[in-house]
Amino acid sequence: MAKKQEIDARHYDVVLAPHITEKATLLSENNAVVFKVAGGATKPQIKEAVEALFDVSVTKVNTIVTKGKVKRWKGKPYRRNDMKKAIVTLAEGQSIDVTSGI
Amino acid sequence: MQIKETTNSGLKRGYALTIPASDIDAKIDSEIKKIAPQVKMPGFRPGKVPGNLVRKMHGEQIHAQVLNDTIRSSIDSLMAEKKLRPAMQPAVSLEDGYEQGKDATITVDLEVLPEIEAPETDDLKIERMTVAVTDEQVEEALERIAGQNKSYKDAPKSKKAAEGDQLIIDFVGRVDGTEFEGGKAEGAPLVIGSGQFIPGFEDQLTGVKAGEEKTITVTFPEDYPAENLKGKEAEFDVTVQSVKVEGETKIDDEFASNLGLDSLDKLRDILRTQLEQETAGLTRTQMKRSLLDQLAAGHDFEVPEGMVEAEFAQIWNQLEQEVARADDPEAAQKEIEAEKDDYRSIAVRRVRLGLLLSEIGQKNDVQVSGAEMNALIQQAAQQYRPEDRQRFMEYVQNDPMAAAQLRAPVYEDKVVDFLFDKAEITDREVTREELEAAIEAEEPAEEKPAAKKKAPAKKAAAKKTDSEKSGDEAGEAAKKPAAKKSAAKKAPAKKAAEKSDDAKDEPAKKAPAKKAAAKKSDDDKSDDAADAPAKKKLAAKKPAAKKAAAKK
Repeated sequence: MAKKQEIDARHYDVVLAPHITEKATLLSENNAVVFKVAGGATKPQIKEAVEALFDVSVTKVNTIVTKGKVKRWKGKPYRRNDMKKAIVTLAEGQSIDVTSGI
Repeated sequence: MQIKETTNSGLKRGYALTIPASDIDAKIDSEIKKIAPQVKMPGFRPGKVPGNLVRKMHGEQIHAQVLNDTIRSSIDSLMAEKKLRPAMQPAVSLEDGYEQGKDATITVDLEVLPEIEAPETDDLKIERMTVAVTDEQVEEALERIAGQNKSYKDAPKSKKAAEGDQLIIDFVGRVDGTEFEGGKAEGAPLVIGSGQFIPGFEDQLTGVKAGEEKTITVTFPEDYPAENLKGKEAEFDVTVQSVKVEGETKIDDEFASNLGLDSLDKLRDILRTQLEQETAGLTRTQMKRSLLDQLAAGHDFEVPEGMVEAEFAQIWNQLEQEVARADDPEAAQKEIEAEKDDYRSIAVRRVRLGLLLSEIGQKNDVQVSGAEMNALIQQAAQQYRPEDRQRFMEYVQNDPMAAAQLRAPVYEDKVVDFLFDKAEITDREVTREELEAAIEAEEPAEEKPAAKKKAPAKKAAAKKTDSEKSGDEAGEAAKKPAAKKSAAKKAPAKKAAEKSDDAKDEPAKKAPAKKAAAKKSDDDKSDDAADAPAKKKLAAKKPAAKKAAAKK
């Protein structure tokens, strides 16, 4: 049990949150779900984490890094954090209820 | 929706309604569809949030709201289906253990208005007792006014003050050698023998002359309101400025002009009309009383318990307030406890008559016109400060309940007028005393235990004093306990208003409330409409009744 929790904790570090947007909802037609993931997470890690957390089988993971915008505050430029999104395609017939939270 | 009748005894009805979960679900869906275009959520353009997400976010609130609406509408349809006329707000409760997705079972308990036979209004017989105002009464009133406007004239210097004379005095009072607050005055008028000042003060001033100085010693009574002076002995240095004797007030044109009138005849006229109004009021009270008695005697139907309870609670509250103010609260409390049953039957009678009158009114299309309503609102607004008046009027116009409450007395009056028109009225000239006696006598003689507010004859006596302003009977009333008196005093004044309240309240709330919209547009016509049929019938009817119509 202790080991499983440990594993779970590691997965939570990979998959941070569901990314709920209009575009993400449209993707559900392709049986894909969008997550925010850690910047250093790799595709195999994401696949493993999603499979472990939601008990589904993942067929494909695409990732994208959205660079943070450069903003200015009191004339001084600073950068917003980068964000890595993962578009996870699930096997046929499987789904994740992203709104229920983890 | 399934309806199951659970109770049906007397005027009580109980129903169990079952609303299937699918109905509720469907309603929620349509509700979501309705609100979805307005929902905003980060990540979505406004209005583009998918329905299932909306449901997730706002599902609970929507569900509660839909459930409420469903319950209300299902109760409405229940009323319509079973043709119920609820007497009061039905008690509705949702069965325990209801959850979203389950069938909702609600229980409804209510009392219905009794089916009232359209009251026969044609064969009422009312005796109208009229009182002629005699010249002596006018003179009497005149003298009373003269007595209240006494004037005092300076007396000769040597005149010694006697009982009934007025002194203008300066005085300084001391207790234990020190002046006390309020014990000093200059140029204070004091009529000897009037009992205005503390006992002994005036006696000791008897016999003084103008310009005289005198020191008197008096003892404050034990029940003197000021705490520090109670029972203390005090010295007063009194300087008499002048002694005045009471001047004879002559009743002549000059006296009238002093009162701001042109001549003595004018004053007489005014007094006469005042007296006539007074007796006309009494006559009307008597007519109404006998009318209501006839109605009550002719109709006996079950009345909704809830309404009686409410009415009774109102009476009881009022009584208790009076008891609290009475000199001897405990005794008064006991008294009203003892008469509890009487008050209950009064409540029953009031409710019954109220229902009856409103039924008659509806049947015969008696309505309160918009103009009358406006006048009424204006009148009611008078008792508020000017800056609040506007607000009050808006409140009344926007709140149908408040408007109904205002309309109630007028409506009742109109119904009563209408019945007067129809009734066979016999005129009889009586003296004032006979008329008053008639007003009181009819009640204890009634079969129904109590006609009005005051069941016991005792109260009737007290009431007499109130309606008769001359105060002849004041002594009689004074013998009665103070509580009684105050209770009775209120009675006549409030009776009409209160009675009409229940007369109109429920019906106004229920039936007309629903019809309110229709009624409003009708209002202007209604006045003529109500009168017209009445008159038509009259023409065919007794000539005696015509007089009443003309009077109206």
